[in-house]
Amino acid sequence: MKILVCIKQIPDMASKFKPNAANTWFTETDLAFRMNEYDEYAVEEAIKLKEKQGADPSDLVVLSVGPARVVEALKKALAMGCDRGVHIHDDESNLKDPWQIASLIAAYAKKENFDIIFTGMQSQDRGSGQVGVTLAGDLGCSCVTTAINFSLEAGVVTAKRELEGGAKGVVKLKLPAVVTCQLGLNTPRYPTLPNIMKARKKEIAVLKAAELSAEGPRAVTEKFYHPVKKGTGLVLEGEPAALAVKVLELIKEKTTVLRG
Amino acid sequence: MNFELTEEQKIIQATAREFAEKELAPAAADLDRGGDRKIFLGNLAKLAELGFMGLGIKADYGGAEAGSVALSLAITEIARACASTAVTLAVNNLVAEIIQAAGSEDQKKKYLRDICSGAYPAASLALTEPCAGSDSAAVAVTAVRDGEEWVLNGSKIFITSAPYAGVFAVFALTDKTALKGKGISCFLVEAGAKGLTIGKEEHKMGQRASATNELSFDNCRIPADALLGKLNSGFTSAAEGLAGGRINIGSLALGIGLAAMDYAAAYSAERAQFGKKISSFEAIQWMIADSYTELEAARLLLMSAAAKRETGKSHMKEAAMGKMFATEAANRACYNAVQILGGYGYTDQYPVERYARDARVTTIYEGTNEIQRLIIAREILKSI
Ligand SMILES: Cc1cc2nc3c(=O)[nH]c(=O)nc-3n(C[C@H](O)[C@H](O)[C@H](O)COP(=O)(O)OP(=O)(O)OC[C@H]3O[C@@H](n4cnc5c(N)ncnc54)[C@H](O)[C@@H]3O)c2cc1C
Repeated sequence: MKILVCIKQIPDMASKFKPNAANTWFTETDLAFRMNEYDEYAVEEAIKLKEKQGADPSDLVVLSVGPARVVEALKKALAMGCDRGVHIHDDESNLKDPWQIASLIAAYAKKENFDIIFTGMQSQDRGSGQVGVTLAGDLGCSCVTTAINFSLEAGVVTAKRELEGGAKGVVKLKLPAVVTCQLGLNTPRYPTLPNIMKARKKEIAVLKAAELSAEGPRAVTEKFYHPVKKGTGLVLEGEPAALAVKVLELIKEKTTVLRG
Repeated sequence: MNFELTEEQKIIQATAREFAEKELAPAAADLDRGGDRKIFLGNLAKLAELGFMGLGIKADYGGAEAGSVALSLAITEIARACASTAVTLAVNNLVAEIIQAAGSEDQKKKYLRDICSGAYPAASLALTEPCAGSDSAAVAVTAVRDGEEWVLNGSKIFITSAPYAGVFAVFALTDKTALKGKGISCFLVEAGAKGLTIGKEEHKMGQRASATNELSFDNCRIPADALLGKLNSGFTSAAEGLAGGRINIGSLALGIGLAAMDYAAAYSAERAQFGKKISSFEAIQWMIADSYTELEAARLLLMSAAAKRETGKSHMKEAAMGKMFATEAANRACYNAVQILGGYGYTDQYPVERYARDARVTTIYEGTNEIQRLIIAREILKSI
């Protein structure tokens, strides 16, 4: 079984983001980076699948597009249990649109014939949610998004999906398939320290983005800005019991704390 | 000059931070107030599983082989959330490093695996005695050879992790006639050894989740091969390890100091008095500026000492400097943090009073800061 997991390195989301000189994205100066949270679930699911293959030889590749710094995220995935890494070196990846990123990954993946590809549902910084599905389209694979449960039996993927309003759906798809992973799909493991050190010996192949794809953007980011701060917060009025219900609704609607 | 951590060090630091935030921080306040020790021990077991108990130990013996810099980073991150967990981790690594440096192949195979894997919930270093504190060479616990055994008698005090340690590195007098400090040997005593009693647990000001107990040896018989390193060379065997221990206690203090100032700085940006955020007052800004500057200086001293240790350079002076400076900076930071929170900082509704209590002992244990100053001066003056 050939498995690919695609990860992105994103800035610590608690950072203060400053626009770049062209006002088209944020500047990376002084930011600390980590693996996109959704992708941690993708990596964990890929490793679980590999571990389930038992004696069957499987090849689990972790891939990231980006500048030199993304090697840290790749090494973390290798320490968690991926077999080898592919670094599509691209110093301008943060300015590329989902189409361009998917095209880069597809250019590599086409030659490798992966049975299954895991990605995060979206990145925490750009949040387009398009790279996984676009990649599936490009490769002609079946695709399921926002997976909160995954299994693979006899070449058929069964995935539970999160639908709007708390409903769930179950889909089945044939291989080769792309699965985009939602938070809560599993519990991503911490890499153990011995494995972090041993991962130094795992291969990370470096490919140059320019040699893989010259696709131009399909959606150009015109402007990056912080919305003007509104002075006041939301003021709710009424009876305590009714207020509690309103607050609970707001928490469910606006935040992720009660998701599960 | 390169101030960048390696990718592995960054991943270890991030793993420690994430583990500390998710698993340790939520329980720390409760454990400080006497919460269930099982939770504390459970967290130690998880840390062992991740490889934090033998950071500097060779892979052959179950360690991570990640080096002294990574150990310092990990302890700082853990201490940000729970100083009691951090001190346990520091002592386990210290004992493991002493065994790795001085132990026989059999001792290394036997004990290092169990410390690293968490089969032993913890390991203890038993040096201090009622009459041998700073004057550690005044050790009066005796070890007398009797056939194929050693017989230990006497008592130790302030022994971290004693009730749940699987093995104790015990310093005992083996040659009463030798010059002071030259007749002391180190022994590995297993928990449950006949004649070893774990005495009362101290009620401490801080780091309360970590147990600190008396030990007494009453004709405690241990096998001849329990001797660690050479006879009468206990201090020489342990000296290297103890220098590393100082870096780790400095790193622990740094973590507490950072936790305190991070909390206080954020608080100052929220709390308003006289119609302004208190962070707009210069007096508050100075405390923030002073403390972060001192903590950053501490970090650099510790990193430089750890880097020297990792690359096999002498670091006796640097480790003592790092321990002394970081622990004092951390105490000032905690003092400032309580001050910035005002009355609220003095209550247990906010974590800074715990940080202040937890930081206090760091200038005392692993050699008081007065002793660190003696070491620093000795190292400087001996080369003149
Ligand atoms: C929470 C905790 C955990 C501990 N864990 C361990 C452990 O796991 N294993 C272990 O072996 N020990 C442990 N200790 C003991 C610790 O290392 C000693 O408390 C410390 O070395 C100081 O010894 P003392 O308490 O006897 O103080 P004393 O030596 O009596 O010192 C009292 C004061 O006199 C000063 N002083 C002493 N001599 C000099 C001098 N020559 N010049 C200037 N000033 C001097 C000291 O700096 C101090 O300020 C622990 C202690 C505590 C509180």
